[in-house]
Amino acid sequence: MTATAEAGIEAMPEPKPRPGWHRIFWVILALLVIVPPLVAEPLELNRLARLVVLVLAVLGVNLLTGYTGLISLGHGVFVGVGAFTMANLIDTGMSLYLAGLLATAFTGAVGLVLGLPALRVRGLYLALITFGIALAFPPFARRLGTWTGGVTGRTVVNDAFAPPSFLGLDDQVHVWRYGCCLVVVALWFLLARNLINSRVGRAMRTIRDDERAAATFGINVTAVKAGVIAISSAAAGTAGVLQVLLNPYVSHGDFSAFLSLRLYAAAVLGGLGTLIGAVFGVLALIIVPFINGVIGLIDNEAVAFGAGLVIVTFIAPTGLAGLLDRRTGKREETGRVSPS
Amino acid sequence: MELFLQRCFDGMFTGAIYASLALAIVMIYRSTGLLNFAQGEMAMMSGYIALMLLTAPGAAGFGFALRGTDWASRWIPFHPWPTSAAIAGGVAFGATLGAVIERFVMRPLERKSTLSQVNVTIGLLILLNGMTLWIWGPFARSFPSPFPNEIRDFVIIGGARLRYTTIGVWAVLLAAIAILGILMQRTKTGLAFRAITSSRENAALVGVPVGRTLAIGWAIAAGIGALSASLVGGAIVLEPLTMMNMLIYALAAATIGGLDSPLGAVVGGLIVGLAQALAPGYLGIPTELTLLPPLAAMVLALLVRPHGLFGTVPVSRL
Repeated sequence: MTATAEAGIEAMPEPKPRPGWHRIFWVILALLVIVPPLVAEPLELNRLARLVVLVLAVLGVNLLTGYTGLISLGHGVFVGVGAFTMANLIDTGMSLYLAGLLATAFTGAVGLVLGLPALRVRGLYLALITFGIALAFPPFARRLGTWTGGVTGRTVVNDAFAPPSFLGLDDQVHVWRYGCCLVVVALWFLLARNLINSRVGRAMRTIRDDERAAATFGINVTAVKAGVIAISSAAAGTAGVLQVLLNPYVSHGDFSAFLSLRLYAAAVLGGLGTLIGAVFGVLALIIVPFINGVIGLIDNEAVAFGAGLVIVTFIAPTGLAGLLDRRTGKREETGRVSPS
Repeated sequence: MELFLQRCFDGMFTGAIYASLALAIVMIYRSTGLLNFAQGEMAMMSGYIALMLLTAPGAAGFGFALRGTDWASRWIPFHPWPTSAAIAGGVAFGATLGAVIERFVMRPLERKSTLSQVNVTIGLLILLNGMTLWIWGPFARSFPSPFPNEIRDFVIIGGARLRYTTIGVWAVLLAAIAILGILMQRTKTGLAFRAITSSRENAALVGVPVGRTLAIGWAIAAGIGALSASLVGGAIVLEPLTMMNMLIYALAAATIGGLDSPLGAVVGGLIVGLAQALAPGYLGIPTELTLLPPLAAMVLALLVRPHGLFGTVPVSRL
């Protein structure tokens, strides 16, 4: 209770926006966007692009968990559905843009269908169902031989994902691809920002803070939740689409339950309920293995992620984003799932 | 008919194991309103500890030495313990782990949001799984059964073989439930626990030591859950992914039975075990997709009877 009261006092509008951290962050982000294409080897750039793409999946988790209070432990599955759908659509020879849009929409629909049973009841049932799906997906994908390539996985031809000739970037395919991914990610962030600043976004946060109150205010709770699940899984689907375009080999093994858990951990580590948290989450996905490699303290990534998740909940409930920006650091008590 | 009975008996064995983990989840859910996603991994650590207690150094299955057996043979008296003693040791470890987690991880977060608490249990799930993998490696280990488990150890009922292990596992489970029932109904701690379940604030107001009671509750729950990893004897191999799947079965069982009903957990466990044993044969679902029948049953339960067979329909109040 006292925490809420303090938050109320400290969250008063400040006379002028503080410079500093916020600006530094944008500078760092801009550097990340500009520098790698200039210095990185093509292969490294491709690897970086694949991590950048994961931002979308983490953004999806964040929209669902951070803004609406629904837990998803299965976003790796949606990345997988997007990737496999895209692989199949590419093979039909259709335009890459159309294929990407279709695969994204299809993943959203899949997410909606899988999530609907959980929406009948309040509480953590979506977490249960998505976790079950996350564990069931790899063996399931292994069985669907024609769609997923079965045990060996499948390879697609992604040559069409190349710069148009008038740009004169023909020998810089990797830079172009990296740029494309950044643009798609930026578009998704724009969409997400507009969504959470809209009427629906306010409804989402009301549902997160108190579902019953939201219903009393006349918000159609089930419709909003269903919509958010669809959008959130569609974002993960786009991540899968881009992943196929970056790495033409796709197999069931890429989408194990640990991917889903890592995506969730990244969303929490980065900061739930802040858009920029998704970016920080993926930074954590990059940094944790890196620290592991350098220090050699823990030769097991899972231990680092798990411990990170526990520690962050204790010392920085709004994640790295909250540490960086004190103004968003006061949202701790609102991000909750209403107990059933 | 014989085949049907045989499959039912097979399902009963796994059903008992799911029921014990579901029971642990339900106990914690009832008292704190929290789904403990780490329950399976806590059980798995206990299972590996039990395995460590009963394995003589250098004699681990599948040719991979089990880490910790050398240490155990030096420091733990009478080291390669008999199987049942080792399981008791594993359960004791699990209970201690449960109490420690309650005291040092969950209690400081008492006033935080449910989302924070669930996040911590998910973090513990990843952490404990990673630690198990780190310490004991990715190898599959077979766990010896504490009951007679030779090929001829069965009784024939209606032409089908009911193995001694199945009887033994159910006996242990029912004994655990009976002890739990006596603890809950006949002791002061049990009374305190039930008071907390009914209303935490009111219990605290009348002087119930909430923290200590919850720690005991977590210990008991984790102890019962630890049985699930130790009783798999022979039927299921123990590897780092085992308990993640088991957690889904247990959560499905708890959802079907009703998340706040101990009876529901046992019945749900039985249903999931039977569904899993019968579905491959009668519905043609390939055995490697064994996760699907329980998941489908869970979805069905949510669609038809969202609060489970024995769960109470919550009354919400603004």
